[in-house]
Amino acid sequence: MSYKADASGPAGRIKQVKATPQARRRIRWLPYALALPIVLYEVALIVYPIAQGILGSFQQIELASTRAPKWIGLDNYTRMLNDPDFWQVMQTTLIFTALVIIVAIGAGLATALLFNYPFRFRSIARAMLMLPWAFPEVPVVMIFIWILSPQFGVVNILARMIPGVNENPQWLQVPWLAMGWVVLIASWKAFPFYSLVILAALQSVPQEIYEAAKVDGASPLQLFWRITVPSISTTLELLVVLASIFSFKQFTIIYLMTGGGPSGATETIVMRIFNTAFRFYDYSYATALGVAGFIVSLVIAFFFIILQTRRAQENG
Amino acid sequence: MTNNAFSVSTTPKKFKLGQTLRTIVLYGAVTAVSLITIFPIYWMLVSTFQPSKYTLHYPPPLFPQEITFYQFAELFANHPIARWLRNSFLIATMAMLVCLALSVVGAYALSSLRWKGRSLFGLFLLVTQMLPEILILIPIYIIYRRLNLLDSIPSLSLVDAAFALPICIWILKGVFDTVPPEVLDAAVVDGCTEMSVLWRIVLPLSTPGLVAVAVVSFFSAWNEFLFAVILLASAQFQPASVGLTTLKATGFTPVEQYMAAGLIFSILPVLFYLVMQRYIISGLTAGAVKG
Repeated sequence: MSYKADASGPAGRIKQVKATPQARRRIRWLPYALALPIVLYEVALIVYPIAQGILGSFQQIELASTRAPKWIGLDNYTRMLNDPDFWQVMQTTLIFTALVIIVAIGAGLATALLFNYPFRFRSIARAMLMLPWAFPEVPVVMIFIWILSPQFGVVNILARMIPGVNENPQWLQVPWLAMGWVVLIASWKAFPFYSLVILAALQSVPQEIYEAAKVDGASPLQLFWRITVPSISTTLELLVVLASIFSFKQFTIIYLMTGGGPSGATETIVMRIFNTAFRFYDYSYATALGVAGFIVSLVIAFFFIILQTRRAQENG
Repeated sequence: MTNNAFSVSTTPKKFKLGQTLRTIVLYGAVTAVSLITIFPIYWMLVSTFQPSKYTLHYPPPLFPQEITFYQFAELFANHPIARWLRNSFLIATMAMLVCLALSVVGAYALSSLRWKGRSLFGLFLLVTQMLPEILILIPIYIIYRRLNLLDSIPSLSLVDAAFALPICIWILKGVFDTVPPEVLDAAVVDGCTEMSVLWRIVLPLSTPGLVAVAVVSFFSAWNEFLFAVILLASAQFQPASVGLTTLKATGFTPVEQYMAAGLIFSILPVLFYLVMQRYIISGLTAGAVKG
């Protein structure tokens, strides 16, 4: 069908537009042709390697030899499930992820509520708030390693104010302190992002609802629980899932701050996979650990997609 | 009667006191938040511009005692930081070009065109965006090793681009969505093909989105550490993100040079991320939340 010919006369043109309101659906294969290079690219560099990794977890990987890989079946998985270290690492991952979600989203929510009030210099304070988020991870770690130096670190001035602390603590040598700092640094870097997203949600709540509730005699606490919380709850759910993805993926901060130490206190599954492959050169077992990590991230992604779809439906 | 008068006179006063208290609490909280976000960065600046004879002292002075600039010259003289930055620049530029080219067509397919596979394509992008880098690292290391692609800047750029691409597509989709569909329909009616609608109408209207994609893809490769540390083994290709960590031992690198290196590395990403934050946040939340 020649569309242009039909639309040549003014009358034909109007008729044609009315007849096919979705006039742009012309080249049927075009969207597929446009999406194809992207799908191919992502398959080549992400999906195919993951499939190779899953395959590799059933094989003995010998990098140096050219022999065909030896099938070892489920050996890696029986080893993994019987390895107390694996469960320890999963527990550390859970603790780290949960703490970062609580601290980062808690701080993000608190600052968003604070910045929702009008005050002088609010725009300057808001711009400063985004600085930690904009900083790359490597220099962030450099700053905090220096701040936490047991010899000269500036944080010791604060710590020494606590009664009973008479010498500078070995911040990254004590397991619970190391975990605490890794969580705080990851949260410090992440919370501005959550804060800004929550703030946007807060500001989209129509002011008239608050005014009407106040007229009806609602207390500030009621305003918060009955209006603020319900209107940002979808955003909060979405952010909790996003935060669990981001903190589950976290590598650079942990690796450069503690390397997973002291004695495994901050070794998450991501750190363990890295150490197994590139410190102990056990690629085969590392890919099996990777499959465990893959399953966890698929579960989180699944939740994210469910929330996204629900949100899209709510927005119409 | 007196009781009534009493209550009338105190109510405004009480209200005022509550207001002052609220103002104090509000500004106190704002100051606390600002200190927490700013202090580590302030301390980086102080440690950069102040000679280490002041900072290598406990307790360190909280305000700079003397400001110098020689540490920048010494940093460039003592460490291959110029080469690190050049490598970072090359890796980031290549990743940016790949992402720009692919995200334009991807976002067009996802935003302006209606087709059957559209939501599946979006789902595919969401899932790839969420996978931890470590899962790809080991297999890609093995594949690259077999294909002799290790230790090459373009190989690393390809991987960096693969991880930045979904976010770039979401950012650009959000911007393309703002072009009214009537404009696109009118153009097609006037005889534009769908591809020329993209080139002549959608793209010129989406310049900020293209800038945002360039910023995100460039700096995610610039900041990237995990792939760079494993896929580039030799020092000659080392980018700055990896190079900086070799300065880690403060005993060998004076504090002011160490911090100056971190500062030089951070300036560009910080500036560009702050300027483009609205778009980047919409991409990170896959377009669900308008920052």
